Amino acid sequence: MTKLLPWLKFACLNTLRNRRRSAVTITIAALGTAAILLAGGFALFTYQGLAQSSARSTGHLIVAKPEQFSRDEDVPLQHGLDDVAALKSKLLADDAVRQVLPKIEFSGLISNGDKSTVMMASGIEPDAEFAVKGPFLKMHTGRVLASSDTQQVMLGEGLARSLKATPGSSLTLMASTTEGALNALDVTVSGIFSTGIGDVDKRLVYTDLGTAQKLLVTQRVSSLGVFLDRMESTGPAQDRLQAALPRLTVRTWLDQAQFYRSVKELYNRIFGALGVIIGVIVVFVVTNAMAMAIIERTREIGTLRALGTLPGQLVRSFALEGLMLGGVGALAGALVALGVAGALLVFPVQMPPPPGRNTGYPLQVAMDPTLYGGTLLAMLALATVASALVARRTVNQPIVHALAHV
Amino acid sequence: MNAPDRLPTGLAAGRHAAASGSGTVPAVLQLHGVHKTYRLGSHVVPALRGVDLALHAGEMLALTGPSGSGKSTILNVAGLIDAPDRGEIVLRGRPAGGLSPREAALLRRDAIGFVFQSFNLVPVMTVAENVDYPLFLAGVGTAERRERVDTMLRAVGLHEHARHRPDALSGGQRQRVAIARALVKRPALVIADEPTASLDSHTADQVLDLMREQGHAHGAAFLVATHDARLLGRCDRAIALLDGVIQ
Repeated sequence: MTKLLPWLKFACLNTLRNRRRSAVTITIAALGTAAILLAGGFALFTYQGLAQSSARSTGHLIVAKPEQFSRDEDVPLQHGLDDVAALKSKLLADDAVRQVLPKIEFSGLISNGDKSTVMMASGIEPDAEFAVKGPFLKMHTGRVLASSDTQQVMLGEGLARSLKATPGSSLTLMASTTEGALNALDVTVSGIFSTGIGDVDKRLVYTDLGTAQKLLVTQRVSSLGVFLDRMESTGPAQDRLQAALPRLTVRTWLDQAQFYRSVKELYNRIFGALGVIIGVIVVFVVTNAMAMAIIERTREIGTLRALGTLPGQLVRSFALEGLMLGGVGALAGALVALGVAGALLVFPVQMPPPPGRNTGYPLQVAMDPTLYGGTLLAMLALATVASALVARRTVNQPIVHALAHV
Repeated sequence: MNAPDRLPTGLAAGRHAAASGSGTVPAVLQLHGVHKTYRLGSHVVPALRGVDLALHAGEMLALTGPSGSGKSTILNVAGLIDAPDRGEIVLRGRPAGGLSPREAALLRRDAIGFVFQSFNLVPVMTVAENVDYPLFLAGVGTAERRERVDTMLRAVGLHEHARHRPDALSGGQRQRVAIARALVKRPALVIADEPTASLDSHTADQVLDLMREQGHAHGAAFLVATHDARLLGRCDRAIALLDGVIQ
């Protein structure tokens, strides 16, 4: 360490020779680092938000018959689960399981008497569902369903508009029963909500489990959503529950989260390419700055080598210069990114709705230690290696040539 | 021209007698039949053609000759910063030809000091740091380095400028720093390329006196390329070169 300190000091002094050039290099490294951290933080925040949203929507784990995931049903709930109460008890016995929510998914028609339209319906246990999921729906009018309600529904905003329904309106649900017969049930609208996705809001209906089972004439449910104590429990809990329920299939939220996977794949490519481009720019800037510094100091390099300095020592010295420029730039960039991320928490900025959605979302940037650490290390490594590579050729040229450099 | 391995003490004006103790002074540097050619495009330019030379401890040898005569090439070869095409280099009694770049660097670090026409000080280092650099490279301990740098700077009269940067010094002062840097590690050989060419005559005299004085004090042999007639008068010997051949 004591032998490295003089080289560090030498490198530090050398970075101060041309302060303007060093400042430009540091600024670009800082901007590049900040851009990577902000873009990466935004992507991470999006992933985290989507992951939580997906897990909250379906449950961390989904338990159903294998056919439920692999084959279409000929009649509603053909692959549904029986004896739900026993299954719930078995699942709740696991330490990581906090709640088990049964769900019936079915389709049919909904009518106001004058007009009928297609609906995608979910039968849920309202109190538990809303307690576990929190405010995942935006209520426009009316109120959310309660478990004490019978034969009541919540309509998506677009569907309510189509049927000219308001809270208190009477509608009729029509669907095929599990026997294949057509059944109808009169219901009352309790509230109108928005999921934020226009196309979904034109079709979605929530009702309580009992109403759905009455309409479909069954005691079955489509699947059980298992909510765990935390996201990280998902994998181990899946293994345990799958072992405990060998005749059923236990899937994770990730298996069902097509939208999450698509967004993540897309963002990974976009922000990955952005990171590579920024990295290349930083490397070019550092390389250019170091190349100019090295050309200017060719004669000095010859002198130092004549005095007995080994080429490796000089390469190391230039690498340390790059490390300092890149390091200071990366640290400054990290501070800028932290500042921006912090400012977004204090002064929220609302993003416009993404394609296919009708509500915006708050712009936030995750401050992930792994992202910051990795980016800083990458910047340091790039600047160091780039400087060393640029220096290598000049440092290894014949001393006589270096001393004759004008 | 074959150079003797031992120089009669009288030639060294008696000052080496105490150092050798045997009536002769050992050769620090010997060049035997050194040839060197350079390629300039398709032309092959002979720079040295069979140079023989011996330099003894404490001796100051001047190389003179017109531009292109081979003075700098001899300095480069003797300073182990360039390799001859043919011939033998013996430094401190040991063959120094055919060394790897690393071995040559370590030998230069240990045994050879350099004084350049343009001083070639490192501008971001202070005077003391410039003088300290060869000792740092050689791995000398911090306390000893501090003491030797201090002593050397006092010897060249720049002790009060230790914390100054080279650009705050005059040309003569810078060359004195360069001499201190060359001598601080107590080298056997100092290579000096036109050390007074960038100095006015008064300063040049001072620098020459300093080189002689410090060379004697440290027993270092000086190999000096020069056009400066004043310098010739202060050297123990002078060798004239013409077209790569000692005259």
